[in-house]
Amino acid sequence: MVELRENEIRILAALDKLDGKASIEQLMLEVELQDAAIMRSALTLQEKNLVHIHASIETWIKLTNEGQIYAESELPERRLISAVLALGGKADLNEAAKKAGLEPSFSQIALGWTQRKKWATFDSKTSTLLVSLVPKEGSDEKLLHSFCNKEKVTMAELSPELKAATGILKKRTLLTVEDKTERILEITKDGEKAIEEGAINLIFGVKEVTQLTPELIIKGEWRNARFQKYNIEAPVAKTWLGKKHPYLSFLDEVRAKLVSLGFKEMTGASVETAFFNFDALYTPQDHPARELDGIYFLKDPEYGDINAYQTAVENVGKTHEDGWKTGSTGWGYKYSKREAERLILRGHGTCLSARTLLSKNLEVPSKHFSIARVYRPEVVDKTHLSEFNQVEGIVVDEKLNLRDLLGVLGKFALEIAGADKVRFKPDYFPFTEPSVELSAYKEGYGWVELGGSGIFRPEVTEPLGVKVPVIAWGLGVDRLFMMRAGMDDIRCIFSQDLDWLRKKEVT
Amino acid sequence: MPTIDVDYSQLEALLGVSIGGDMEKLDDILSFVKSEVKNYNKAEGVVSIEVKDTNRPDLWSVEGLTRALRGYLNLEKGLKQYTSGDSATVVNVDKRLSTIRPYIACSLIKKIRLIDTTIRGLMNTQDKLDRTYGRNRQKTSIGIYDLDLIVPPLNYTVAKPSEFSFVPLGFSEKLTLAEILERHPKGVEYGHIVKKHTVYPILLDSEQKVLSFPPIINSNDLGKVTEETQNLLVEVTGTVQQTVLNTLNFVTMALIDRGGKAYASTINYPEDSVYASRKTTTPDFSNKQWDLDVEYTNRLLGLQLTAKQISELLLTAGFNIGAVNEKKVEVLAPCYRTDIMHQVELIEDVAIAYGYNNIEPLWRELPTTGKARPEQRLLDTARELMVGLGYQEISTYTLTNPESLFAKMNIDGSEPKNSERANRVEISNPKIVTMTCLRNWLLPSVIEFLSNNQSVEFPQKVFELGKITVPDAAAETRVRDEEWLAAASSHMNAGFSEIKSVLDAFFTNMGAAWQIQATSHPSFIEGRTGAVMVNNVDVGVLGEVSPLVLEAWKMENPIAALEINIQKIIEVKQALKRK
Repeated sequence: MVELRENEIRILAALDKLDGKASIEQLMLEVELQDAAIMRSALTLQEKNLVHIHASIETWIKLTNEGQIYAESELPERRLISAVLALGGKADLNEAAKKAGLEPSFSQIALGWTQRKKWATFDSKTSTLLVSLVPKEGSDEKLLHSFCNKEKVTMAELSPELKAATGILKKRTLLTVEDKTERILEITKDGEKAIEEGAINLIFGVKEVTQLTPELIIKGEWRNARFQKYNIEAPVAKTWLGKKHPYLSFLDEVRAKLVSLGFKEMTGASVETAFFNFDALYTPQDHPARELDGIYFLKDPEYGDINAYQTAVENVGKTHEDGWKTGSTGWGYKYSKREAERLILRGHGTCLSARTLLSKNLEVPSKHFSIARVYRPEVVDKTHLSEFNQVEGIVVDEKLNLRDLLGVLGKFALEIAGADKVRFKPDYFPFTEPSVELSAYKEGYGWVELGGSGIFRPEVTEPLGVKVPVIAWGLGVDRLFMMRAGMDDIRCIFSQDLDWLRKKEVT
Repeated sequence: MPTIDVDYSQLEALLGVSIGGDMEKLDDILSFVKSEVKNYNKAEGVVSIEVKDTNRPDLWSVEGLTRALRGYLNLEKGLKQYTSGDSATVVNVDKRLSTIRPYIACSLIKKIRLIDTTIRGLMNTQDKLDRTYGRNRQKTSIGIYDLDLIVPPLNYTVAKPSEFSFVPLGFSEKLTLAEILERHPKGVEYGHIVKKHTVYPILLDSEQKVLSFPPIINSNDLGKVTEETQNLLVEVTGTVQQTVLNTLNFVTMALIDRGGKAYASTINYPEDSVYASRKTTTPDFSNKQWDLDVEYTNRLLGLQLTAKQISELLLTAGFNIGAVNEKKVEVLAPCYRTDIMHQVELIEDVAIAYGYNNIEPLWRELPTTGKARPEQRLLDTARELMVGLGYQEISTYTLTNPESLFAKMNIDGSEPKNSERANRVEISNPKIVTMTCLRNWLLPSVIEFLSNNQSVEFPQKVFELGKITVPDAAAETRVRDEEWLAAASSHMNAGFSEIKSVLDAFFTNMGAAWQIQATSHPSFIEGRTGAVMVNNVDVGVLGEVSPLVLEAWKMENPIAALEINIQKIIEVKQALKRK
């Protein structure tokens, strides 16, 4: 005897009840299973030669909304002709359209079809329509009428004439034509035999179990049950787990690396005074970076409070004006404390370094870093963000020089970027001199610009009361992340795509 | 950073070395002057070069770039000395300009052959100088004229806006100065510089012909330069004398490099305290002397260079050398190196000439202890707990807009100061309408994220741990950042008990006891909203998101969400510990 699963038995029983033949739709009502489940069982039954599946393609024709209107009220050209006839066989187009109840926008379409169908003569000079007799009902009209209250008909139901007319109406978007597969299940001779042999009765005999339940376990009923064999290769629903954001995980990694290299983390507010963002970093008050398209300004309040740093503000001001006692010429302009109080969204993390240098607790030697959200008025595209994160920091010690600077950069390239080779180029920042650009080479990626750095100018350190050299560095972490993630669009850092986040492998 | 377009064949010719179209090679050469190739349009033969140094306007022309590179390419050591012939004209300055636009500098260029590419290069340089170095003509602006049409001496004077008229460049009819500010594109762009004054600057020749209306526009008659022009008058006006003189130098030098011969002019200033002297001669190509400390140089670079080696390197970098002894090198900096403010500039040039890649990097082990910010461990714990609860971490912008923060969250946010909920930090110069203020609460970021993922498979569970910014009059910067956690679960059956259960698991594992208190919040369904309390301090909210909010964001599935102030929880916990 053939071995059957519960669903298969149920379908066989239902087919038997429905005189041995039924469509999937009929079976759905009978056995209360989804069509996919019925099809799965039907295919197994067919494999076992108990059922035969007849598949046929039916072409369904369905009226569109516009088509339904015309099925009820006739095509616009027919209405136009009827109107002309009612007006005595000769009429002005607009008058006839009005009588036919056509919208002005439809009258031209209706006119076009009367001409195409040669139902009327039209004198374009006088805009007059002339109709001599009632035109015969066209095949397109017959087709429309054949719907009479039905929403759809099959192609097979139609006469050859009407079949041909479907093309015309489809072009006028009055109907849609769609192929649909119809499946009929029929019990085979073997199937009938299996039913006679009592296959159906199985359902009432040894219980076949799909789900092992606590009840089955507690009562020990599972001993009499037969566990349905699953198709273990069948696809299953996806599980979406929770995980950290790939970019933020990367920043965690960078943070851990920097801590292990002896750097202490600095933090601060995203809104900063121009003093710490610019002035303390020797950026003159009329520098283009401080204009409207260089930095975001706060609307209200516009000014912050820097009175706690009075000495530093004075020294910085004098340094800007004439160099103070730093050995510099200064920028040679009149410094404004008011301008220094301007509130902005910080444009770089270096303002945190300036605050650290000014702090009374500054240790020598010491190393500091920050991971700071920074803001620039940029239009967001593939390579620009209006806000992003910067990893920056400083090294403070008595004897630091350019060789140390290159050493720090080399260490970063090796430890953080895993670079094979490094290269240094001259660079420019208003607050460092000398300044160095760091590029790193990594097999498979080529040369990548990794960061910028330099030794703070005396015009920066001395007004803040720092007498020792300070190395300042910044890393292009966004670029580094994109390189690692294999992305070329910087917007992935703030991706709004849940699917991408779910599928992004953890590296 | 200024980007300049230069003609490739001119660049190669002025540089005196063959590059053969190899942009990598050109990049390497340009790195000596902190510049790089941004783009090479081979068809038009134009190279776009980005000059990173915003303080070196002498590099913003093909002439200047190549002048700075000669030494590094071993073509010519030392500085390039420019000269001008004796004063050939006089400019008389009106006293009334002393409070408007006091300074002017002027030079004459004779026998110059201008070809199309030169004129374009000249315009490009003039534009860069006006915009960047001249701060959009506020500080300085340049005018160039056909000298043969001018009858010296010149009068730099003032005129009444509605009474004085002339034909501005590009127009065929006379306009008054006031009309120029209204109707001429340059008047519209730069008019704000002069508008506050009752009279405007005007530059005339001895026959009262108009040269220009500085800093707005030249006259159409005298201010047009074509390939037929042979003799030029260059003039710079402005508000800072040194910048005016420097700008005149940059333009005059570029024209000398092009084969022109320069002549000076005498400027007669009126008696006024703003003027240091009554009479000056421009251009001034004199060099500036610096004493470079040998010990300081070596200390900063970590090298052991002798004074002689330093001198050699400085010659390569384009300086002249005077007296040299063990301790000191006398350096003559050319007039075009206006960027030199301190010895460090010279020291950096020594290092560049030495070659950064010839310096051995040094990693010094310093006795410092690394340390993450104090709250980092707890923030990490919070993230890990949310991940463990099956929530995907997201990262969004802190810049947003009132529409997303308030209107779409069913909150009245029309006036920032109406309520604590609507009080936010706004930007005065937003770049796009969707980024006009900093978020003052976190949940909208999470809701917005979900709204952008309506076609992605449900259930959707996401969280963000991020900063919000709120006004705080007591703070130095008048605002305060706070770390918040927001989480949302969205699916057919998302509801209150689910999110409450999540928060309960969260607090249990954070080691904090919490209570819930019925509350009202416009973004949540009434009767399904709870205030989150830790040790009787309100630290957040949770509940079922109001259908009004879901509709506003065009979402079809229910959302249960929470938002808590992580920073406050940390503070409360620490306070409890201290007790």
